[in-house]
Amino acid sequence: MAVPQTLGPRVAQHLLNRAGYGPRPGQIAAVLDQGLTEWIEEQLAPGADPELDTRLRGFTTLGYSTSQVLSLYNADNRTIGVILDEFASAKVVRAAHARNQLQEVLVDFWFNHFNVFVQDGFDRYSISSYERDAVRPNVLGRFRDLLGAVTLHPAMLYYLDNYLNTAPRTQGGRAVGGINENHGRELLELHTVGVDAGYTQADVIEASRCLTGHGIDNVGASGNYQYRPGNHDDGSKQVFGLSIGSGGGQGDVQRLLDHLAAHPATALFVSRKLAQRFVSDDPSEAFVTRLADVFLRTAGDLREVTKALFGSAEFWAEAFTSGKPKTGFEYVVSTLRAAGAELSNTRMSRTAISDAGMPLYSCNPPTGYSNRGADWLNPSAQLYRMNFALDLAAGMVAGAQVDIRGLIRNGGGDPDSPSSAAEAINRVVFGRTLSAATLGAAGRVSTSGGPPVSARVAGLLLASPEMQVR
Amino acid sequence: MPFDASRRVFLRGAGLAAVGVGMAPSSLLVRTALAASGGPKVLVKVFLRGGADGLNLCVPYGDSDYYNLRGGIAIPRPGQGGGAINLDGYFGMHPELLPLEPLFRDGRLAFVHAVGNPAVSRSHFDAQDFQESGTPGNKQTPTGWLDRAISEIPGREVTQAVSFSSQLVRSLLGPEPVLVAQSLSSFDLRARNWRAEAETLLTAMYQADPTQVGTNGLETFEAINTLLRAPTPPPANGASYPAGAAGNALRQAAGLVKNGVGTRCVYVNVGGGFDTHSNQLQNNVNDYRPLGQALAAFATDLGGLLDDVVVLVTTEFGRTAAVNGAAGTDHGTGYAMLALGGRVRGGRVLGRWPGLSRSQLFESRDLAATTDFRDVFQEVARAQFGISASLFPGYTPGAGVGVV
Repeated sequence: MAVPQTLGPRVAQHLLNRAGYGPRPGQIAAVLDQGLTEWIEEQLAPGADPELDTRLRGFTTLGYSTSQVLSLYNADNRTIGVILDEFASAKVVRAAHARNQLQEVLVDFWFNHFNVFVQDGFDRYSISSYERDAVRPNVLGRFRDLLGAVTLHPAMLYYLDNYLNTAPRTQGGRAVGGINENHGRELLELHTVGVDAGYTQADVIEASRCLTGHGIDNVGASGNYQYRPGNHDDGSKQVFGLSIGSGGGQGDVQRLLDHLAAHPATALFVSRKLAQRFVSDDPSEAFVTRLADVFLRTAGDLREVTKALFGSAEFWAEAFTSGKPKTGFEYVVSTLRAAGAELSNTRMSRTAISDAGMPLYSCNPPTGYSNRGADWLNPSAQLYRMNFALDLAAGMVAGAQVDIRGLIRNGGGDPDSPSSAAEAINRVVFGRTLSAATLGAAGRVSTSGGPPVSARVAGLLLASPEMQVR
Repeated sequence: MPFDASRRVFLRGAGLAAVGVGMAPSSLLVRTALAASGGPKVLVKVFLRGGADGLNLCVPYGDSDYYNLRGGIAIPRPGQGGGAINLDGYFGMHPELLPLEPLFRDGRLAFVHAVGNPAVSRSHFDAQDFQESGTPGNKQTPTGWLDRAISEIPGREVTQAVSFSSQLVRSLLGPEPVLVAQSLSSFDLRARNWRAEAETLLTAMYQADPTQVGTNGLETFEAINTLLRAPTPPPANGASYPAGAAGNALRQAAGLVKNGVGTRCVYVNVGGGFDTHSNQLQNNVNDYRPLGQALAAFATDLGGLLDDVVVLVTTEFGRTAAVNGAAGTDHGTGYAMLALGGRVRGGRVLGRWPGLSRSQLFESRDLAATTDFRDVFQEVARAQFGISASLFPGYTPGAGVGVV
């Protein structure tokens, strides 16, 4: 893997910001000691993380199947609140504390690519299984496996109405059921080849026909995937260059997914989106094409595609640009990490994420949240971000314990001296990348009145322009 | 495009025909002149995201094909249980829009039917992009149509354009400053006992950043200070806003109009269940009820100030004319807009009705679009901002449909 030979804190910070949710105090130095290549290799082959397991142990419902969730809910409808609370909390805890940072970023990325919405009826009960069983195991595997798992997961079948997508039939002389295009369209537009691939309305209908009959056994009780042959349109189909003979039954959708997962348009669409997440808002076509070549050469091996990202000159060149604005989630989590916060409760942090415009699992449309950093810059989000930083440094974010004085001392600074405290935080958290203007402003806090100097300096630095980008 | 009344308005009820006849170019000029003596004029764009179904919003109950196509999700005729509210003897509005009936009757509310985008896309994302950039078929347009509109208005205050949304919306994308906010209450730095110092030092940091991050930071402080100087007044005239995105945003929008911080353009983003692929009847009730209540409250709250305001409610596309297999409808083409304002020439359903027979449907499935959305946008921008030059690159808007 080609990694620049001249390594420095800025490059390590860049890597931690892009492949993860930003450095924790001291982590820039630690990764430099370990070696950037070694760190990347480790991230691409996630190992055990017993410390994280311990942190998640209190969330006893994370492993529940959809059937278990539904039976608890049916016995006492208050249980769903606890289950969803644990589910969303675990996302924040993982992002803030996991060793396998890249895995968490990829789970977030691919969940968002195959977005479902927690408030959408049955998805409240199945979203935990969706992320755990369909997305998480496949983010460093084959795209085809990921696509297959999400396409036929009950949460997706519900969200995109495929459980209602059936061959038109007559029952007692009346027409019942019929094609529902929602899933067929988004499978093409959002999940695989992309809206500009050149498919037609006829292709949308033919893709929808392939999907007929794939549904859910009982959305109120068991919530398992079920194929109903009687609901499947078993005629021949022509979808975007693929011919499927009649009588294919349950296999039609597999043929279609094989075709779409291997399609060059999918390689380009997925590569562009990855490049946008990890490299820049507007990645060059040449770069996207190179990634797509890796995708096609490796039959959609996402580990290889992800590895190619970190081996690219384009990725490392970004370390020396003005950076990519963080999303609301990235900002809140990276701020928790930078402050060295220990999370015992995530409620206030999740409120901040919502206020920054990105409530967890609550993106209603199937497009998912934007991967463009510029889309997250606005005065309201900026205000909420600054207030979160000021609150966190002052110890006013409940459930997020910080020791700013200790952090400054570890950096060799004096917590009661503004300029010394600012220099120490710059060293330990920012790899000495802060601008003179930012350091200078933080160094000018007054030493009397208001919260302690250390909290004010840290609050300002966590609210700084440098912290808004990754 | 030549003025053609038959193309611009269709009149079905004899009683309402008089209103339509009264609409003539001369009265348009009079109204425009009168408005010039009022306060600054404001355009509010409400976007129903997800493809709101125009056929159940403004119901063509006089078109028998409607009932054949819609089956179990049709809105019954006026006078029947759960029936549409008669507008003009041919169209009726969704029963949940009942709070808007008085506004329609006194001529401050109009519908425009069968509006659409000539570069038909049934992709939410593309159709939204085409409409908000104002350039159908071109996804590379760097600015939104409202950004181009407000760039024609003097001043660069951050509160000139306010978007109630979680992100900057495509319509306002571009160089003009925009205050994007979900809530304007408590819009201040939280730094007890050192607020002034925190603002000074953070401002110094952001002033030194030449990128969009720096600019955004400075606009944030400008917005904070503007809103601190002119806090949003509470609802007046007994107006009661419903909970939810439309109510919260329109309540704050009314506050901006009343408190005079120079706001000329407001964007209200409304999510919800408009993408009614299934269970459409219930989804429509859930969404249209708070929408109707919010718009009615907005009119009550503003009182006479509504004369300075035009609210334009739109979406990205309509839905299939026929019910699908799941008591819903799929992505379609033509949709309905709604316009509210003291100077809206309301009490009418505008546009040209294309009909719903199979041969009249677009691609045998969708309500065809007979009015280009850009004609309506330009017409409203002309009335509210005095802009006559086209806001739409490569397109010369027609005379419009006579909505203002």
